Amino acid sequence: MTTIIFDASPLITACKFKVKKLVIDHLLPACQIVITPSVEREVAILGARYPDGTAAGERIARGDIEVVPVAERKWERPLAAYALGDGERESIEVCAQTEGAEALIVDDYLAFVTATRLGLKAWMLPDLVVQLVVRGALPGELARDILEAIRSRYQAGVIAHSLERLQEVEGDA
Amino acid sequence: MPKVVVSVEEKILESLERRTAAGAGEDISKLLAELIDLGFEYRLRQLYGRFEAGEFSLEYFARELGLNLRELYASLEERGLPTSNIDARSTTTIR
Repeated sequence: MTTIIFDASPLITACKFKVKKLVIDHLLPACQIVITPSVEREVAILGARYPDGTAAGERIARGDIEVVPVAERKWERPLAAYALGDGERESIEVCAQTEGAEALIVDDYLAFVTATRLGLKAWMLPDLVVQLVVRGALPGELARDILEAIRSRYQAGVIAHSLERLQEVEGDA
Repeated sequence: MPKVVVSVEEKILESLERRTAAGAGEDISKLLAELIDLGFEYRLRQLYGRFEAGEFSLEYFARELGLNLRELYASLEERGLPTSNIDARSTTTIR
């Protein structure tokens, strides 16, 4: 199963929006989700009064979402040059240190650019949804519904692009 | 609502006093509270513009505004503003 590192904002989105059940529960059977202690703090502890914070906390407690601390701050100096938060910096470091981690899921422009410049693979949450269809881990119709459910959190054009990509993927199959 | 003591520039206070005297129908503390709300809204919109331009991340934005990330997410959602600043017109997502 592919290992994916989640930043805080896409985790909130995945724990907040539903297609019959929470989006996160469609993703968990298809990939191993890893977060950092800072992301856990932002989403599940400081966000505990929100239903998505509770949902994230329950999945962390059950071990469905794994919390992994930074073992070595390999890129402390280059990361300090970017106006990022602790969660984003730690997510980048944990993505680099986690053997077999496929991508960092991040919906933030600066974190996306920083991770890419450091040689990591960065995907937005809609990209992950499409990738799971490519791998046969998520049905196309469900992916389309998920993309529509999370549309409000994205800039114009992002979900349209993912829906087009989904159509191409299904056409190729 | 919690109450705090703040220093206010004399000209602002005078303008609020004149407004109250002119029959605005509200007391000065309510007008000041409204000004503080407007100031917060202005600060949020100003920072959102810089976030949207990619100057800093969402978490950094939250810290600048004195909120935690989840509170900022909720504030943006209430205003119908996306929490992602990646724009399909200026970036390339994976293929």
